[in-house]
Amino acid sequence: MNQTGNVLEIRDLVKDFPAVRAVNNVSFDVKRNTIHCLVGENGAGKSTLIKVLTGAMPRSSGTILLDGQEYSPHSPRDAKEAGISTLFQELNVVDQLTVAENLTLGMEDTRFGFLRKTDKISAMVAVMNSLEPSIQPKMLVSRLSVAQKQIVEIAKAVATESEIIIMDEPTAALSEGEIARLFKIVKGLRDNDVTVIYISHRLDEIFELGDYVTVMRDGRHIGTKPVSEVGDRSELIKMMIGKTVFEQYTPRRDACQDTILECRGLSNHKLHDVSFDVHEGEIVGFYGLVGAGKTELARAIYGVDPYEGEITFKGRRLPPSPDKSIQAGIALVPEERRSQGLFTILTVRGNVPVMNMKKISRNGFVNAARERRVTLEYIDKLRISTSSTEKEAAKLSGGNQQKVVFSKCLFADADLLMLDEPTRGIDVGAKSEIYGIVRGLSEEGKSIMIFSSELPEIMNICDTIFLLFDGRLKATLRNGCDIDNEKILHIVTGGEVT
Amino acid sequence: MSADMPTARRGAFSGMSNESFLTLFMIGVLVVLFAIACVFVPNFYLLQNVVNLVTNFWFVIILGIGVTFLLITGNFDMSVGGVVALTGVLSVWFCQGYHVSQNALANGLGLPYGVAVGLALLGALGIGAINAFFVARLKVPSIIVTLGTMMVARGIAQVVTQGAQRNTSLPDVFGVVGNTFVPGTSVKIAVLIMVGLVVAAFVVEKMTVAGRRTYLIGANAVAARLSGIKVARHLALLFMLSSLLAGVTGILLASEFKAGLSGRATGYEFDALVIALLGGVSIAGGFGSVLGMFVGAIILAVVTSSATGLLLSPDWQFTLKGIVTFVAILAQRLALDKRKG
Repeated sequence: MNQTGNVLEIRDLVKDFPAVRAVNNVSFDVKRNTIHCLVGENGAGKSTLIKVLTGAMPRSSGTILLDGQEYSPHSPRDAKEAGISTLFQELNVVDQLTVAENLTLGMEDTRFGFLRKTDKISAMVAVMNSLEPSIQPKMLVSRLSVAQKQIVEIAKAVATESEIIIMDEPTAALSEGEIARLFKIVKGLRDNDVTVIYISHRLDEIFELGDYVTVMRDGRHIGTKPVSEVGDRSELIKMMIGKTVFEQYTPRRDACQDTILECRGLSNHKLHDVSFDVHEGEIVGFYGLVGAGKTELARAIYGVDPYEGEITFKGRRLPPSPDKSIQAGIALVPEERRSQGLFTILTVRGNVPVMNMKKISRNGFVNAARERRVTLEYIDKLRISTSSTEKEAAKLSGGNQQKVVFSKCLFADADLLMLDEPTRGIDVGAKSEIYGIVRGLSEEGKSIMIFSSELPEIMNICDTIFLLFDGRLKATLRNGCDIDNEKILHIVTGGEVT
Repeated sequence: MSADMPTARRGAFSGMSNESFLTLFMIGVLVVLFAIACVFVPNFYLLQNVVNLVTNFWFVIILGIGVTFLLITGNFDMSVGGVVALTGVLSVWFCQGYHVSQNALANGLGLPYGVAVGLALLGALGIGAINAFFVARLKVPSIIVTLGTMMVARGIAQVVTQGAQRNTSLPDVFGVVGNTFVPGTSVKIAVLIMVGLVVAAFVVEKMTVAGRRTYLIGANAVAARLSGIKVARHLALLFMLSSLLAGVTGILLASEFKAGLSGRATGYEFDALVIALLGGVSIAGGFGSVLGMFVGAIILAVVTSSATGLLLSPDWQFTLKGIVTFVAILAQRLALDKRKG
C-alpha cells in the first residue's frame, strides 16, 4: 500500500433533504496517515457528510473514492468492511457486556449459533492494552469512564484494520487529563498507518492535533489547508462565518428597566456559576455551540433539573418545579418538539389549552365550548394550518406543530417565555412567522429568553446576547452596538475573553 | 387538502374521532356476535338473558374502570384480582365473632360491619399506595410492581384464611348488601353500583380536567410534566382509585357469598385487561375509553355465555376466550389502519 497520496477523495458530493441541500457540491481530499480536522458551525453540513461517508445515509449525487476505488456504502457495516470506522458522540458500546464481549460484538465467531472462544479476542485485547493497559477484558463496560469506553471503541476500530477512523467531537465529555491521553492515542494512530478525520468545535484542538483542516459553511466546502498554513483562530473563524449580514435587527428605542428574572450562581452537573438578569419586555438570547449548556440552563430555571444557586422571579424566589414555574408566569417551549412539547396522538384541541386548564374549566369540569373557541382563536392568531380543531397533532407539518407548542405556552399567560431552539427543523417561512410572533410578544411587554445554536437567529431578534461555553457564561453583549461575529465565535469555541 | 374543507364531506365516519369510531366498530362486532349466538344458542335472544349478560359481569366491569384509566396513562394494574380477595377476606375476618369457637377460622375480631368494611377498604388502599409509591415515585414499571402486589395481596388473604376460606360466625348484616335486589327485578344492588360507577367514570373521563390529564399523561408523560401537570400525583391517585374500586368489589362479593375466599377473583385482573383491550384501549397509552371497555365486557359476556349455552365443556372456555380476544383485537387494528389510510 502506498504511504503517501490520498486515502479519500470526495468529488461534487451533494445530499438533499426535502427543502434543504445539506451538503452542496463538496469536494476535497484526505491525505493518507494524517489527522484531518473538519470544522464548521452547527448546521454547516459536517454531520450529514459523515453520515454519507459511513453509509448511514445515501448521497444524492457525487463520487467518493477510497484508495482510488469508487466507494458507496449502503450501511455502516459496509463502511466498516471497507475500512472506515466511526466514533460517534453517543458511544456505540453495550454497557451490560464485558470489555471483551464489546470488542467482538457483531464479529463473533460462531458454530451452530454458539459463541466460540478464538484468538480473535486475545488479538483485540492486545491492541486495546497497547492503547490503555488499565482496562481489563473481563470488566463490565458500565464501570468504565467515557474516556475508557472511547478507547474500547478505538481498539475495536484498530483491530479490525480500519484505514480511516472518524471521530465526532470525542473530547466533548472528557476531562483535561483524559483529553491529553486521547490526543496521544490519536497521534499514535496516525503514526501507525491510520487516517483520522477529527470533528471538533474546540478550535484550539485543531492547532494542537491537526495536520489538515477543512472548513464547511452552509453545506459548502470553504477550504482545506495544512494547519501549519493557517495563521490563527481568527482566520479559521472568518472561514467559518463568512460575510453574514444581519440587517433585520432594529435596536429598541426604550431601554428595559425593571428586572423580571434574576439568576445568581446557578450550578449543576453542567452549569458553572451562571448569573444574569432579564428585564421586562426584553428579548435575550443565549448562544453557544452544542453542549455549551443552553438546554440545561433552560431546564434548571424551569425547575426540571436540580441546581444550586438562586433564581428570583418578579421579586420572589422561584420554587424548582415546572407546575410552579407556570403558575408564577414562566412557560417553556422545549428543545425537542415532538417528544417534549407536543402530544402528537392528541388533537390540536387536545394540545392548545393544556398549560392553563383553569381558564377552560369551572370546578374541575371542562367547558367544551370554551375549549373549542380558545383553540380556534389560536389557530387563527398564529395562523396554524390545520383542517380542523380535531386534527391529530402528528399530522401537522413541523412548523405548524411548533406553532401549536407556542399556543400552549401563550395560553398559559406567561410573562416570561423560554424558547429552546424555537425554529429547529422548521422551514424558512414558518421561521420568520415565529420571529414575528416573538417580536409581537415583546412589544406587549413579555420577556423572552431564546436558547439557540443558530447565530443568525440570535442576531435577528435578541436585544441582549449571552455567550455560553462549557456551562459558563462567558460574555454579555448588547445587540446593535458591540456585535462582532468573529469575536462571538472566538468566545463560544473556547477562546479567551479579552 | 384545503384548510377549511368541511370534514363531513369525506365519508360518514370521518368527522368522528378515532375513539368514537372504534367504540362504534366494537358495538358492530358485538351485534354480529350476538346475532350469531341467537341463531345457534336456544333462547339466547330472550330479554332475561340479555339482562343477565350485563349483570353477571358486574365485578369485572368495576375492576375494568380503574384498569382502563391506568391503561390510558400507559400503566398496568395487575393487582386488582388480589385486592378483591384481600378485601373480601379482611372484611370477613374483622366482622367474625371474637373468641366464639375452637376453630381458628371461625374466630375474628368481632368488629361492627361498618367498621370492618372501612378497615378492609383501608387495606385495599394500602395496596394502592404501594403501587403508587413504586410506580409514580420510584419509576418502576407498573407491570412489575402490580404483579408483585397482586401476589402480596393474595398472599395475605391466604395467610388470614389459612389457604382456605372464612365463612362462619358472621352477623346477618354481613350478607345484606350482596343479596339485596332492586325491588321487582332480579338485579342486584351491586349491578346498580356498577352502572353508577361506569356513568361516573364516563363523566370524569369526558368532561373533567382530571380526565384530560389522564389522556395527556398517556400521550406523552414528559410533555405533560413540562406542561405543568403533576404526573406523579395523578398516577398515584389513579392507583389508589383502582385499588379502592377493587376493594368495593371484594366487599360486595364477600357479602354476596357470606364468605371470604383467598382464591376469589383469581384471573380477574386478566379479564379486566382483556375487556379494556377489546374496548379499544391502547396499551401504549393516551387512547381508549370506559365506554369501550363496557362494550368489551359485553362482548366477552356474549362469548362465554353462548359457550355455556352450547354446552361446550368449561375446559374449552379459556381457549375460546383467547381466540375471540385475538380476532377482535386484530379486527380493531385493521379497521383503524384502514381508516387512517
